[in-house]
Amino acid sequence: MGGAGWIGPAAVTGSRPNRSTPVEVSVRFMVIRRADAVTEAGAAPTPAIMAAMDKYMAEMQQAGVLIEGIGLKPSSKGALVQFDAGKPRVIDGPFAEAKELIAGFSLIDVPSLEEAIAWARRWPAIDMEANVALEIRPLFEESDFAEWQETWQHAAPG
Amino acid sequence: MRFMVIVRANEFTESGEMPRPELIEAMGKYNEEAVKAGVLLAAEGLHPSARGARVHFHGSQRTVVDGPFTEAKELIAGFWLIQVKSREEAIEWVKRCPNPTPDESVIEIRQVAEFADLGENLTPELREQEARIDALVAARAAR
Repeated sequence: MGGAGWIGPAAVTGSRPNRSTPVEVSVRFMVIRRADAVTEAGAAPTPAIMAAMDKYMAEMQQAGVLIEGIGLKPSSKGALVQFDAGKPRVIDGPFAEAKELIAGFSLIDVPSLEEAIAWARRWPAIDMEANVALEIRPLFEESDFAEWQETWQHAAPG
Repeated sequence: MRFMVIVRANEFTESGEMPRPELIEAMGKYNEEAVKAGVLLAAEGLHPSARGARVHFHGSQRTVVDGPFTEAKELIAGFWLIQVKSREEAIEWVKRCPNPTPDESVIEIRQVAEFADLGENLTPELREQEARIDALVAARAAR
């Protein structure tokens, strides 16, 4: 029967920037740059791509939107830990299906999904020779955990 | 070395079903241990792809596609960012993690690309620009 749904790793350590005054309406989104043959090859980006990405990141920073930007090395430098019936098994990279992989991400803090999409649309096209997609996903926030907690209390016996 | 530890999505993470309190507790304990060991830099979980979107780039064109996205195994459900001495140490930490979903889960370990890896493509101008962005982000986080 069902079992537990997904819990974000962030149960204890949300990495939201500290603010002296809380922003009333803001949502954090992960903007995911999917992997392709170019990112999996592991060649260093050209100075032109670096400059375009830096300019874009600086724009997001100046708008107060950017929390973090991370690029990943190819999957050949990584590994998978697969849990079967609770037992971990380690598989070394590379992993065959580039389209199942990610190459990096930005964390942004904006009022809505629409605004997150608007920022994603401005991603430098010079990085997109392979016509890959950016994926935009909202994060679990403390308010979600508060909601769950309320449900458990209602469900608790006595 | 920094590693991104990625929880691959599956039908449970995509269902949006509420987690059991025991799992939240086990995950919280694990995260606290990693924080105390000075390993954990950040950790976040993602809502199901039904609440997300994709932007496809075709030359100068942009096409927006709303979630959900059908292939769960192509998606991610959350991540940790950790700082460790080696790939082996990263794998050891991941093996100690509570199984994040019922039944079968896959966690992917990927090394973060650092500026030092860029070699001569990182020009002095770019290095300066990066330093400015880092300083701005740090200032914002501390605000």
